[in-house]
Amino acid sequence: MTNEQFQIFLDRNGSDPERWPVVDRPAAERLLAGDIKARTILQAAQRLDAALAHHGRDAHDDGAATARVLARLSGPLPRQKAQRWRLPTVLLDWQFAPAWPRVAALCACAVIGFAIGLSGVDRRIDGLDQAYASAPSNDLGSLVFEPEALTGARP
Amino acid sequence: MDETDEALMARIAKGDERAYHLLVRRHLPAMLGLARRVLGNAADAEDVAQEAMLRVWTHAPRWQPLAALRTWLTRVVVNLCLDRKRRAPWVALEAAGEIVDPARDVSEQTEVDERERLVSAAINELPPRQRTAIVLTYSEGMSNAQVAEFLDTTVSAVETLLVRGKQNLRRALGNVIEED
Repeated sequence: MTNEQFQIFLDRNGSDPERWPVVDRPAAERLLAGDIKARTILQAAQRLDAALAHHGRDAHDDGAATARVLARLSGPLPRQKAQRWRLPTVLLDWQFAPAWPRVAALCACAVIGFAIGLSGVDRRIDGLDQAYASAPSNDLGSLVFEPEALTGARP
Repeated sequence: MDETDEALMARIAKGDERAYHLLVRRHLPAMLGLARRVLGNAADAEDVAQEAMLRVWTHAPRWQPLAALRTWLTRVVVNLCLDRKRRAPWVALEAAGEIVDPARDVSEQTEVDERERLVSAAINELPPRQRTAIVLTYSEGMSNAQVAEFLDTTVSAVETLLVRGKQNLRRALGNVIEED
């Protein structure tokens, strides 16, 4: 691990060694043990993290703002949304979102396939003529059950 | 009476206003603090917290206890904050109402206040998602995985937000943090 990589590692995981990923911790600790610059980087990261944590602490101590919002909420409340028909929890917990585009694409392909098959646009016109012309000779049913063309005799 | 959030939500779903105000008092200060840190603006934060708390009331009949109420509320507040940041520019207010520590003398207090003001200003200048990732990590004490869940993104995307956010902060603050 270089010092640049260590800086990015600290930005990702914070300067508290307790929060470092177990996999990367030995490499970081080896660097810290043998490199003064790395220790300076860690101290700077710790100061920045402390400042960021302190920024959050100030926002907790605002009782006046809480009182103002409570006062605004003490008036008449809006109408509640009607309760939906209750599905079992397990159904509501399913994640359909990632699957629906693929399901939609599959359905669209199936519909287009049926449409092409039913309309016959996948066959060439001259190919159709040949297919109809050759049908009697290839059609076993017509050979077996249809009457003879000249004599009218049945097989 | 120490009722759970789920029990209170069941009562709120039936229109119990007393239970609603009990729940609001329980969660409002934390949600207000979160909104204020993400938005960097006290007035907007109050609006967002009020909107989030009204949603508790209006959505209570439809609420399903799939996750903790606190998690759901935090997600609502974060989304409302990001929506607000996307919609309109805002005017940053100076940090107000600092609690004075009687143990410090005036000059030391002024110096500390000035440094905190500069840090707040630098955080407020960050792009909304970078700022949200930093606030959730450092103020709410969330892991990168939890932040990813709240921002509806991946852990590596959160790490990128944190790296860029801190680079921007170091650039903006210069040697302010170095002086101790």
